[in-house]
Amino acid sequence: MSASADAMSTTRKRKSTLYRREHLVAIAFITLPVVGFLVFAIGPFLYSIYASFTNWNMLADPQWVGLNNYIQAFNDPYFLKSLGNTFFYMIGIPIGLILALTLALAMNRRMPGQTFFRSIYYVPVVSSLAAVSILWQWAYNGDFGLVNQVLDLVGIKGPNWLQDTATVKPALILMAVWKGLGFSMLLYLAALQSVPRSLMEAAELDGASAWQRFWHITFPMVQPVTFFLVVTGIIGGSQIFTEINIMTPTGGPEFSSASIVWYIWQKAFANLQMGYAAAMAVLLGIIVFTITALQFWWNARHGHEGTE
Amino acid sequence: MARTVKTRYRTGNIIVAVLLLIGGIVMIAPLLWMVSTSLKTRDGVFALPPEWIPPVPQWENYVRVWDAGPLLSGIKNSLIVSATVTIVGTITSTMAAFAFSKLRLPGKNLIFLFLLSGMMIPFPTLMIPQFVMFANIGWVDTLLPLIVPGLFGNIMMVFFLRQYLHSVPDSLIEAAKIDGAGYFRIFGSMIVPLIRPAIAAQFILWFMAVWNDYLAPILYLNSPEQQTLQVVIANFNANYAILTDYPLIMAASVIALVPVFAIFVAFQRQIIESVALTGTKG
Amino acid sequence: MIGNLNRRTFLAGASAAVAAPTLAACSGGGNASNTPSSTTSGGKVSGEGVELTYMFRGGADERKAYDEAIKAFEKETGAKVKVIATDADQYRTKLQAAITGNQTPDVFYLEQGAVMAFAKNGIVKDISGDIEKAGIDISKVWKYGVDSYRFDGTKVGQGAIYGLPKDVGPFSFGYNKTMFEKAGIPLPSKDTPYTWAEFREVAKQLTQGGEQWGTGLNVVWNLQAWAWSNGADWADADRRTVTVDTPEFAAALQDFADIQLVDESTPSIAQAQTMDTYQRWMRGQIGFFPVGPWDVSTYTKLDFDWDLIPYPVGSTGKTATWLGSLGIAVSNKTKHSELAAQLAMYLSADEDAQRLLYKAGVQIPNLVDMAKGEYAESEGKPENKMEFIKIAEDYGRALPAATTWSGEWYDEFWTGIQPVLDGKKTAAEYCKEVQPRMQAKLDQANQAAGI
Repeated sequence: MSASADAMSTTRKRKSTLYRREHLVAIAFITLPVVGFLVFAIGPFLYSIYASFTNWNMLADPQWVGLNNYIQAFNDPYFLKSLGNTFFYMIGIPIGLILALTLALAMNRRMPGQTFFRSIYYVPVVSSLAAVSILWQWAYNGDFGLVNQVLDLVGIKGPNWLQDTATVKPALILMAVWKGLGFSMLLYLAALQSVPRSLMEAAELDGASAWQRFWHITFPMVQPVTFFLVVTGIIGGSQIFTEINIMTPTGGPEFSSASIVWYIWQKAFANLQMGYAAAMAVLLGIIVFTITALQFWWNARHGHEGTE
Repeated sequence: MARTVKTRYRTGNIIVAVLLLIGGIVMIAPLLWMVSTSLKTRDGVFALPPEWIPPVPQWENYVRVWDAGPLLSGIKNSLIVSATVTIVGTITSTMAAFAFSKLRLPGKNLIFLFLLSGMMIPFPTLMIPQFVMFANIGWVDTLLPLIVPGLFGNIMMVFFLRQYLHSVPDSLIEAAKIDGAGYFRIFGSMIVPLIRPAIAAQFILWFMAVWNDYLAPILYLNSPEQQTLQVVIANFNANYAILTDYPLIMAASVIALVPVFAIFVAFQRQIIESVALTGTKG
Repeated sequence: MIGNLNRRTFLAGASAAVAAPTLAACSGGGNASNTPSSTTSGGKVSGEGVELTYMFRGGADERKAYDEAIKAFEKETGAKVKVIATDADQYRTKLQAAITGNQTPDVFYLEQGAVMAFAKNGIVKDISGDIEKAGIDISKVWKYGVDSYRFDGTKVGQGAIYGLPKDVGPFSFGYNKTMFEKAGIPLPSKDTPYTWAEFREVAKQLTQGGEQWGTGLNVVWNLQAWAWSNGADWADADRRTVTVDTPEFAAALQDFADIQLVDESTPSIAQAQTMDTYQRWMRGQIGFFPVGPWDVSTYTKLDFDWDLIPYPVGSTGKTATWLGSLGIAVSNKTKHSELAAQLAMYLSADEDAQRLLYKAGVQIPNLVDMAKGEYAESEGKPENKMEFIKIAEDYGRALPAATTWSGEWYDEFWTGIQPVLDGKKTAAEYCKEVQPRMQAKLDQANQAAGI
């Protein structure tokens, strides 16, 4: 008895020293990401919140101004407009998803050339956004651009895409869809390939129409992918900047293409209104966080229907 | 009966293939057009009707372009940033993923959730204080603000590797421990080889993301000789459009695309598989 | 059209936009006609073993010229100068970062519009004393240039000197002589400006369907000439009240817009987008186009003949345009303020450097005597160099935002101007509608400036 108790306590002791060692190793392994996170994310994040309550031009120390910057933001037509533009760009998300799913369905057949097509559609995804923006800026040129030349073939006189308040946003959306299509398609394709063929065959035997099979089997099966793409699409879309800055360096005709990040960037680094820019950046953070949280909440309530 | 289904299926395939081909042409046309423009003369780009294949390809555009701007140093800088960040960052991230997934540490899941939640903070919200921080230590206009944060790892990568590691049974590690292997040995000679495909895929994706980054570089880099390739070509675009030198701009952009295309072609399968994994595991 | 304008600023215009504002600040540092050594005759400072940093932006031609000035300075004082060069549009960020990081260069460029903020926050040094001590005769530099960097605590243009001009940038008006001769139209006079009506008539005559146009002006950079010559301005002299809602202002804007809307003597928006008017001018398709000294090196290579004239005039009968400048300032934290002031002086007024600069066709000399003498008489384009000089000395004005705390009130005017140029809004409607928004921003700026 005493011997076994002894043995137990040594094991415990050995175990606890072992555990302690393991803890130390684990801490060592995660230290860098945690430190990096504190220094490069949490620290700046807290400082942003502080700065958003100040007047700060980077020449002198920040001066506390309370809620002024936030009040200013809600009365600033350009802030509201750039926010509106940013949401407008998100129209591209459902368009892209529908196209991507259609493509994925088309490719999800046992047919030759599938790999080839997959790669072709994926090429824009790996291309650098800067280069692609430069390319499309040229492609949207009124007379000599690719887009209008193609339209010309079918007898349409295309507009001056990037110079017209009515077309500049659709033009940017079209480009974004082109750029992102391959990515969404690939994810859908992977999801479709995990749909058991037997399930579809059984449904077909039961007399389910193609539409019914799609709506009751395929669509729910790919729902997690849709969710993932919508969430990442909104997070990414809310930060659209590169194409705006390259293709419409002045924020577009009458500010019609300026995105919120572009406006923050202008205010901060062109007008040196760091405090005001920080306030807008914090608002952007809150918006992104809220939308994402809402999506997760909605997904938790409705998302699992039919997926399992 | 079986035959008609098969034929129907085959005709379907043909129709689908034709549609996909048309779609594929739409997808690839702008890029081909970019290459075509890069081989034209300055006036050739204004020819109507447009020429898809320039009558005399101006290969010298690709010679001229190197003298027209700091393209070479741009490539060098991009390479330094992307390689340093992804090589060191991948090691950091893999070790963290191993710890989060397989090592005992009270509260580790909480810490991990905390890190994950940080991904919801958009970069623009952080960029102003980060800029000031780096300005204070005199790092602006050096590559350091682009490199250093990446060395601390990439939470996204930690997340995926951690998911991936869940499929490695704990008993394997326990057995190794009983055999007296140290944690570094377990990590180095067991875990890494086991998840090598996942690491490689994440590495490539990350490399391309850093290579293609634009916002942080334009924030931090002012001197032409410090700029990364993406900033260099964006400046090309700004400077040469006024001179209507579109061929030069397009040549620079083509050059900027070539490295990622090469990587894509070489690692196509890994990239595509790992992206697919992203969706299903994410 | 505004996009188009801005595009020009962004692109080729790096030079215009940059050089122009840069020029305004010439504070009159140097002895125009003396060698650098003579300018410093008062109290020569030895710079043995000292290294000064100098943040520079600009093209290769400029760099070459300034390297000359630096060499002369180094030889004279024994100091070393380390040049930090940047792209024009990245300059401000880089400077800002250096200031934040306590690495403010000893000598750097200062934009006119930044004088107030930089002086008030103690970033730039009041160099009046150093200039005096060094025995520098600033009267040899354009008065406008020196005055642009004077600030008395509330107002720019008077008081202590916070910088010397790197250059002054007269934004003049050019015409395509060859086109006039071909069309058989009498050449415009360099002494008597056109009236608006005459100008529009000539522009119409020059316009030939889809191939050639009378003009193609960018509202952002050219409306000043119209407004000012019509007795209008963006704000009152104290820069407290925005005055774009006057009938004179509206009339000027409307006349400007009508060149396109009514007369169609400019490329349409679509045509301008395809190839902007700057490129069309260079291809000889445009009759009248603005010319700054920074354009001369490029325009000299054009295959048509061109020259300068005064801008057409509105109701006042007096031609007007803007005169930009960029300043050279000294950091308040420099340990070698006299030496730094001396370097600023060399950069502003070293004779050899100034000669190189005008010969390179990137600016007119900062030295009044050199400008009126050897520059005005020199070969090379434009023939009517006196127009540049008259602007610099006589009728050029600072851009409206150059003397306010922030330029946002002025930018506000341009952001929504497109509908006026498109004819969807009248000038009067627009001016009335934009005034309160501009006023609010100007009030904000004045409040921030503490005035």
